[in-house]
Amino acid sequence: MSEQNRSVILDAVRGALQRKLGDSLAVRPPALSPRQVASQAEELQLLIDEIQKLSGHAQMISPSQVSMALAELVRTYQVKQAVLWDAPLLQRLGLATRLTDLGVRVIPAHSDKQTLSECDLGITEADFALPETGTLGLLSNAEHPRLVSLLPRLHLAIMRPAALRADLHQVFAEARTHAYLILISGPSRTSDIEMTPTLGVHGPRDVHVWVLDTDQ
Amino acid sequence: MQKSQLQSSEKKIPHPIEFGAYSEHVPGQIPSALKYATGRFMEQRAACLDELPEWEALRQAGSAIRLHTLENLDFYLEKLDQQVIAAGGQVHWAKDAADACEIVLELARQHAVKRAVKVKSMATEEIGLNHALQEVGIEVVETDLGEYIIQLMGTGPSHIVAPAVHLKKEQIAEVFSQEFGIEAPTDPVELTAIARRVLREKFLAADLGISGANFLVAETGTLVIVTNEGNGRMCTTLPDVHVAVAGIDKVVPDWESLSVLLKLLPRSGAGQKISVYTSFITGPRRAKDEHGPSEFHLVLLDNGRSRILQDPGGRETLKCIRCGSCLNICPVYRNVGGYAYGWCISGPIGAIFTPQILGVQQAGELPFASSLCGACDEVCPVRVPITDILLHLRRRVAEGDAYEPAVVATPLRAAAALGRQALGTGWLYRLGGRLLPWLQIPWLRAGWLYKLPPPLNRWTKVRPLPAFRAHFRNWWKRRHQVSTGDQP
Repeated sequence: MSEQNRSVILDAVRGALQRKLGDSLAVRPPALSPRQVASQAEELQLLIDEIQKLSGHAQMISPSQVSMALAELVRTYQVKQAVLWDAPLLQRLGLATRLTDLGVRVIPAHSDKQTLSECDLGITEADFALPETGTLGLLSNAEHPRLVSLLPRLHLAIMRPAALRADLHQVFAEARTHAYLILISGPSRTSDIEMTPTLGVHGPRDVHVWVLDTDQ
Repeated sequence: MQKSQLQSSEKKIPHPIEFGAYSEHVPGQIPSALKYATGRFMEQRAACLDELPEWEALRQAGSAIRLHTLENLDFYLEKLDQQVIAAGGQVHWAKDAADACEIVLELARQHAVKRAVKVKSMATEEIGLNHALQEVGIEVVETDLGEYIIQLMGTGPSHIVAPAVHLKKEQIAEVFSQEFGIEAPTDPVELTAIARRVLREKFLAADLGISGANFLVAETGTLVIVTNEGNGRMCTTLPDVHVAVAGIDKVVPDWESLSVLLKLLPRSGAGQKISVYTSFITGPRRAKDEHGPSEFHLVLLDNGRSRILQDPGGRETLKCIRCGSCLNICPVYRNVGGYAYGWCISGPIGAIFTPQILGVQQAGELPFASSLCGACDEVCPVRVPITDILLHLRRRVAEGDAYEPAVVATPLRAAAALGRQALGTGWLYRLGGRLLPWLQIPWLRAGWLYKLPPPLNRWTKVRPLPAFRAHFRNWWKRRHQVSTGDQP
């Protein structure tokens, strides 16, 4: 049915437009030119401000402060179980070990979805960050599974300044060959009941972004 | 509330959409809730656009890209088809609603699906997919919070972006209490928490995820879905099979064009610079540990869209990116709500989309559900010329055209044709001007005509007609001879 429908529909579209099979294509109208970038420090500050406007939490952090910040996060959100990406940056920061030291159970990222859903904290690295909208971009692969930033009630994304991009244009230019990209701008939200803004309806209730002060 | 207003968009409408009748008995709760909600959307939008001086340039670019895509749609559809398949996905083509439902049902049969979770989608509303799945015993759960609430209540959406916006928190608490056997509080935050728990179980148990599409990128075969709650991510990541149903008008040429449209959509609709989550999905997962479905299916739905494309006067309807801003600004919509439009898409865009999909025989009242104030044209992020298309469709209703026969009854059309002839012919006009003051005497009461014989009673049933005074030129001459004050 479908194969036959394909030609019926395409013929109907061609007929409607008075085009013929293989007719050449008009030139696509231009998109707008990308946004102008400020200095890195200003861009990072803008990113942090915008994430906070969206009820997310964002801060600059140096590798030496990670241990303390993590302890505070675990305490504040009463984290019992955590899951994290198998990313070189997260390994260098020794997050898994530190979490275990804090008494948190670290669940393997390829556990079944029920188990992942019971996790309190998911840790990822942001591949991209867009200052203007307070947006993080995450790609996925076997080491960077998609559910880690979705099922736990708290999402911690760690990023290096090198993840900064000026605009969607740049992110798209790099991400278009990937099977999956997710753009995340603040915590999950809804206003579906009497227009009352409410956080954490399906995705994480809280999003923390740690911007490392070094690309090393 | 009248039964007709509650009519779920999932059921086939057996008789014409009666906008006039549906909008007569709208409960007061609907306009008051809608005015508040749409007002908030418009305020947020205004604040958002203030920060973006290039908004008009962006609109122009968006409009040009959408029109270009439609005018070369066959090319981009073929490209999309190739690229989805190259990415390991499967493409199905559906001529109409029945085809589309059958395709999804067949997929469900192949995978022995028992439970499906769904992202809010106008295309699946349009084809009545939930109904078709439920008939064969498959549980279908809407997972957008608003959509879930109205699914529990058994009604259709009242707003395309905020479907349950007309309901009070007390009503929602009552439904939750009944449905889950609990004492649900009336606090929106707690109600949301209850829905989160219930729906989380549904997500984890589902074996099929159903979505629509905000955009389909032809260049790479990528499906783009925008949500704030995260239900779009859940539905397209957790179940092992994902099927997306999308109109053939959802295609965009490439990622470069997409960046323009993604800047327009959330800003225009809800006044957000960007939605919380934007997912870009190209085919099924590439590695098991990556998460995501092992199968990705795309159902491309025509259902009358190629017919809309055929008519240059209506074609630009398909530029729409479903942001909802024309609803938010529309004085008619804000007073009557979504149900009055009798089908899944409401507001000004519904008034032009529905008659072209269902035909003017069934939806002939909708092009008249507007004051032609033009506010919708002003806010549309891709510059759909809504009032022009409304007028075009009114003509189609009245006179019929190459695409559809007229709806208006023959005697009325004959009377209108006669009137047009008389007004356009000098001597006939002058003769009429002399004769009418005499001819009207049998019906004349104190300067007004209260009852006229058919077909002219169409007017007098609603309101009296002022009496014909005289031949206009005579009246004008007299008016200037006498002092000007005593003529109305």
